[in-house]
Amino acid sequence: MTWENARIDKAKEIIEMYPQKRSALGPLLYLAQDKDGYISDDSIVEISRLIGITEVQVQSVASFYSMYKQEPTGKYLLSVCKSISCEISNSSNVIQKVKEFTNLSNNETDDEGLFTYESVECIGACGGAPAIQVNYETVEGLTPEKAVDLCKWLKEEQPKVVVADELQLKFGGTKSFDWAIEDNTGSSSPVPGFQTYEMQEEI
Amino acid sequence: MTEKITFTVDGKTLEGKQGQLLIEACEDSGIHIPRFCWHKRLDPVGMCRMCLVEIETPRGKALVPSCTTQVTDELIVETESNTVKKAQEGVLEFLLINHPLDCPICDKAGECPLQDQTMAYGPGESRFIEEKRHFEKPIPISDIVLLDRERCILCARCTRFSDEISGDPLIEFIQRGNKTQVNTFPDEPFKSYFSGNTVQICPVGALTATSYRFKARPWDLKKVSSTCNCCSLGCSVELNVSQNKMLRILGEDNEFTNQGWLSDKGRYNFEYLHSDNRLTNIKLKDNNSFVDANISEATEKLKNKIEELHNPDIKFLIGANSTNEEYFVINKFANLMNRNEFLSKDKSNVYFADDNMFSGYFGENHQNASFEDLDSSDVIVVWSEDIKDNIPVLFLRIKKAVKNGVKLVVLGHTNSSLESLADLYLGQDVISNNFELKTNLGNIKEFQNIIENKKVTIIVGKSTPLQQKKYLDNLVDHIQKYSQAKFLNCFTKANTFGALQHIDQIKGLNEFCNEYEESNKNIVFTIGANPVNASFFGSKIENILKKADFVVSLDIFINATTELADLILPTTSFGEKEGTVTNMEMRVLKQNKILPGPGSALSEWEYLTMISKSLDKEIKYENVDEINKALCDEYENNEELPSFENLNKPSNLFGMKNRKNIDINIKDLEKNDLSILMVKRLYGDSSTQINSPSISMLGSERFIELNSKTLEKFGISSKTANLIQDQHSIFVNIKINNLLPDNIVLAPINRRGFKNLDPTKDFDIREATNMKELSVN
Repeated sequence: MTWENARIDKAKEIIEMYPQKRSALGPLLYLAQDKDGYISDDSIVEISRLIGITEVQVQSVASFYSMYKQEPTGKYLLSVCKSISCEISNSSNVIQKVKEFTNLSNNETDDEGLFTYESVECIGACGGAPAIQVNYETVEGLTPEKAVDLCKWLKEEQPKVVVADELQLKFGGTKSFDWAIEDNTGSSSPVPGFQTYEMQEEI
Repeated sequence: MTEKITFTVDGKTLEGKQGQLLIEACEDSGIHIPRFCWHKRLDPVGMCRMCLVEIETPRGKALVPSCTTQVTDELIVETESNTVKKAQEGVLEFLLINHPLDCPICDKAGECPLQDQTMAYGPGESRFIEEKRHFEKPIPISDIVLLDRERCILCARCTRFSDEISGDPLIEFIQRGNKTQVNTFPDEPFKSYFSGNTVQICPVGALTATSYRFKARPWDLKKVSSTCNCCSLGCSVELNVSQNKMLRILGEDNEFTNQGWLSDKGRYNFEYLHSDNRLTNIKLKDNNSFVDANISEATEKLKNKIEELHNPDIKFLIGANSTNEEYFVINKFANLMNRNEFLSKDKSNVYFADDNMFSGYFGENHQNASFEDLDSSDVIVVWSEDIKDNIPVLFLRIKKAVKNGVKLVVLGHTNSSLESLADLYLGQDVISNNFELKTNLGNIKEFQNIIENKKVTIIVGKSTPLQQKKYLDNLVDHIQKYSQAKFLNCFTKANTFGALQHIDQIKGLNEFCNEYEESNKNIVFTIGANPVNASFFGSKIENILKKADFVVSLDIFINATTELADLILPTTSFGEKEGTVTNMEMRVLKQNKILPGPGSALSEWEYLTMISKSLDKEIKYENVDEINKALCDEYENNEELPSFENLNKPSNLFGMKNRKNIDINIKDLEKNDLSILMVKRLYGDSSTQINSPSISMLGSERFIELNSKTLEKFGISSKTANLIQDQHSIFVNIKINNLLPDNIVLAPINRRGFKNLDPTKDFDIREATNMKELSVN
């Protein structure tokens, strides 16, 4: 057993919500990612036991989706959009500035384990392009300068939890629409829209 | 019946069935559509796009994959239009982008669907000049299967097989896009009883077997169809031989039996044929060591011994690997050698080497089932030895039937591998540790609901030699009372049913031990039997053979039994002899010869006719055909005979129309409380397996299974321990199996170190503390 009891309880709670155990695989992988910042082999074994499928079947799904990380990420995962709407709104400059500030190239993590940088395909914020995600919390209407401010702020403040609304207020510009869930509590690791934050407290 | 429909392919009007897949309907009418991922026995997936055809739709012509399109009435299909050809070229060009051009060193070359279809439908020229994708090649994904990911075209046949057919999905697609690869989870190898099937259905050289790698080119192989002799299912196989060496066994798709699949035991258990340990010369024991002899010396010696002993008691211990023709001759010979020169019921002298023999359910009151009945019945009830370990392909047939909606009831405690498929599993609440039904089955509502007024196929046999037959009767009688029942008697060893058919009366090893009288003069023949090893009666038989006045062994190896013999006659084995075998549904199938026997080895019947001649009690047969004719002559029904000519048809159930009733004379063992449940595992220490290098190690793990409650009693927390009983101590791995009843431990009888355990005595499990204790006593 590599998972804490609270995490296993949470997992069982999630499994309960599905008619078939294996259907809970997706959310359970977020639980795993919340634990280590990526999907570790130990977590794969744990999940396969919890939902009764083989390890390799879990790995197959975990390695298919790019938002499930196969390598450890830094404390803040910076995903800058490079798709068309952002591109025509000058995202290449945002990308360049963020890369310069963090001194990282694509899919790299810095030595301190603070930032992981990736440029990604459309993150669904075309109306507010260019956009960036910090631990999958979206900030829209960025400028290259604001993007650097955001990184600086993260580096100095090192907030335990990043909340989209807060980031948007501080660094964002035009917002496409109110896409975030109402009681957004933010994210403490690269786990999108899945409120493991409360559980983190318990653990 | 499904509705018949007509459709047009390339201008020809064809017939098909509503709902049938287009590719299959075309195949049935002789039109071949190229494909990689589609396989008749697997669910369609539409991965490779090779089977694209053009169909007429209301919006004009459209390209669709014929493996995922159902045929409909008046459908118009083009399989050779310019558009289709262009599509096929395109698909092949894509598939070849990353496929290495290592055909000259690839085992598949020459029988490779990718190679063949590229020749037939490909673009002819490559436009790809970029660097191809590279992977480490090859990587072992199990002890017997290697994976070359560069060659893989991602058809998902192997992953679908392991998921849908064998139910152990230990290989899967990892990553996606250009990085997609088939792989196992780290440290979790593709350990499946059926992994060899993935090698056979792989349409490229990505999956290869250790036993065949770089051994031969397909065009050098001599091929013959035959029937596997590893268990009583009778899988149809194709034997591949080059330069008088068996190199490979492939599964043949026989609709009635194995449907194309084989267990890895059946597929890879052949290297022993060419082992240096094979007996090639007749051996006579001279002062405790064997010396080579010729056949006339051997028959002379035996003749003298028989005369010297004055009317000795002659008994026959027979194994399961003989053909029906051989059993026929053994029967004649055994009758001749009987003291009274004829066989009366109480004077049977043939004993069959299978611990779990029982009198079976035959005759008019018990209708024999065929494997097709598994699919057509409503319910399958299983109470027998472990099916997955002893008749692996029957496990696949049951799994398939369950997938198609047949209900499955499993009675404990040996078939835990079927539990996950079962609608109802009756464990220790219903069945005692002695395999006795604790309650009347009528009181179990769930059970009653499932079986009442239904068509039931019962797979029934003794789970352990210590089980009383009356407990099986309880189950059988109950089901017969409430439903329509058909029977598959679960004798698991190779040609058991052939022996039952052709030997007047069969007894078991227990009878052998009881009826052996030391005060008499005794000669024992062992014919392809090794009951000293891996048998519940092993040590008793060992003692008897040591004391017997003369022991003649007909076998292929020196093993625990034959080393006790005074005369060993080397025999031919699988692939080296022709004959018929009868499987558990009483279907007679043909075994063919493609190899010469080693050295001076002869068939069992040849030795027996020679011996009988030297004793002036001649059995006159010149060749197997003559025996087969003689065997057919004794059939009452003259229309459907198991003659060699008739067996060229795909299937038959000639065995059903047997000339006489099956007579098995077995008494139950004394009732004892079981504490160790001995079961036979697929892989073990049989002389054939340990002499086949590719699979010899698969049966080496020593383990026990028990439930967590029982384990708790012993206070062991580690995964290894010592199993202790009296003077024996075995270092074992511990596996938790909570389907087992309390206070019982399950141990594999055919693994080294277990045969001396007494199932009725208590055992102890202790922490293994130092290396000294690790050794087997």
